[in-house]
Amino acid sequence: MTTVLLIDDSATMLMSLKSILTKAGYTVETAGHGKEALDKLGKGIQPSLIISDVHMPQMDGITFVREARKDPGLRFTPVLMLTTESEQAQRAEAKSAGATGWLVKPVAPDQLLGVIKQVLPDA
Amino acid sequence: MSSLLDQSELVAAALRPVPAFCDVVDAHVHDIIEQTAEAAEAIVAQMTTVDSMAEVMAGDVAQLAGTLGRAESELTGVTTAADRLVDRLVSSLRSRDERIHRLVEEVRDLKQDVKRIEEVSKATGILAQNATVEAVRTGNDGFAVVADEIRKLADRSRQTANGVGGSLTDLTTRLDTALCHDSEFDLAGVTDAQREMSGIVTTILRDSVRAAGQVEASSAALTGETTGAVAQIQFQDTSRQMLEHVLAAVADVRRQSADVVAYSEGTLPAEVVRERMISVDDLRTRHVMGRQRSTHAASTGERTGEPDGAPMIELF
Repeated sequence: MTTVLLIDDSATMLMSLKSILTKAGYTVETAGHGKEALDKLGKGIQPSLIISDVHMPQMDGITFVREARKDPGLRFTPVLMLTTESEQAQRAEAKSAGATGWLVKPVAPDQLLGVIKQVLPDA
Repeated sequence: MSSLLDQSELVAAALRPVPAFCDVVDAHVHDIIEQTAEAAEAIVAQMTTVDSMAEVMAGDVAQLAGTLGRAESELTGVTTAADRLVDRLVSSLRSRDERIHRLVEEVRDLKQDVKRIEEVSKATGILAQNATVEAVRTGNDGFAVVADEIRKLADRSRQTANGVGGSLTDLTTRLDTALCHDSEFDLAGVTDAQREMSGIVTTILRDSVRAAGQVEASSAALTGETTGAVAQIQFQDTSRQMLEHVLAAVADVRRQSADVVAYSEGTLPAEVVRERMISVDDLRTRHVMGRQRSTHAASTGERTGEPDGAPMIELF
């Protein structure tokens, strides 16, 4: 089973994405912000993919990526940013922090699953 | 001078309730965010339940279709065996009838033999009578005794032949009756009825399998629709963030109103008011969502300066 870690401060987004991914056969873990995600990763969760919002309380998505990339075990784990924002400067910042891709909300199930297949071809 | 002071006081008085007004707007918008979030979560939860039920239903129907398919296959086997059994039974009954017919004919032939025995007995009786007459005429007593015994023998033969003939007649009558009853029984009809019944049951099963397949397809389509509906709920998160941007703008208006009031009351220097003054350009730079940028451009009658051509999905 491929595990996906979802990070978003919106309970609606977490429920919606979890429903789509679970139905597609993925195991899903969730966190409400970057700090909670780092805590869960520190407790042994080993996701094959991380999908993170950008603006969140306590720790935003770009800071989370930057912190996660310091962990050798997460250096090559794909991290997709899923956000309402489409500003190029923020995309560049996310790319520089180590994000794998940028998706603008709302994202259709087929599109989301298609991108996941691209970044996890063996899953 | 007095007039200017009056105007300044009027402006301050007009702006004084703005912060409280903005607080109410802020509270209302927060309520909207909270209520739509609760509704969206409830919708996602319900759609997920519907989706699970549809999946369970699709599984159950698939299982039912499989069972019906196997039942159809087994019925076909049973029907074929039953058809063969009925065919053999009908064939056996027809063969039995033919044998009985032949037996009846043979019995009728036997009746001819019995008739010939009766004729021989009758001729023997006449011969014995003639012998008796001749024995009386010649006075030969021994010959008369023999002639009498032959006559008695001829009588017994005739009586026996009569009995056998009667029995044979009775036997042929009963066999004819039995054959007549069999002919009333429609053996071909039995075969046809058996095949018709098998055909009806097979058709019902095939129709049931087809119906189950359609329900299965509908269930799969339903789960597809529910997944799409669940994805649509993302609008709530997008709306929430847009409303949060609106709240930030309302907070700016609130602060500026308070600044102007403070300035008019002499508690805030003019340079601070100028330094913190809100501008449409500031607002625009905080519009990070494509739709917000478009709305902003339409409201101010300006071009955005950067057409929002950034891809919705981008892999680095």
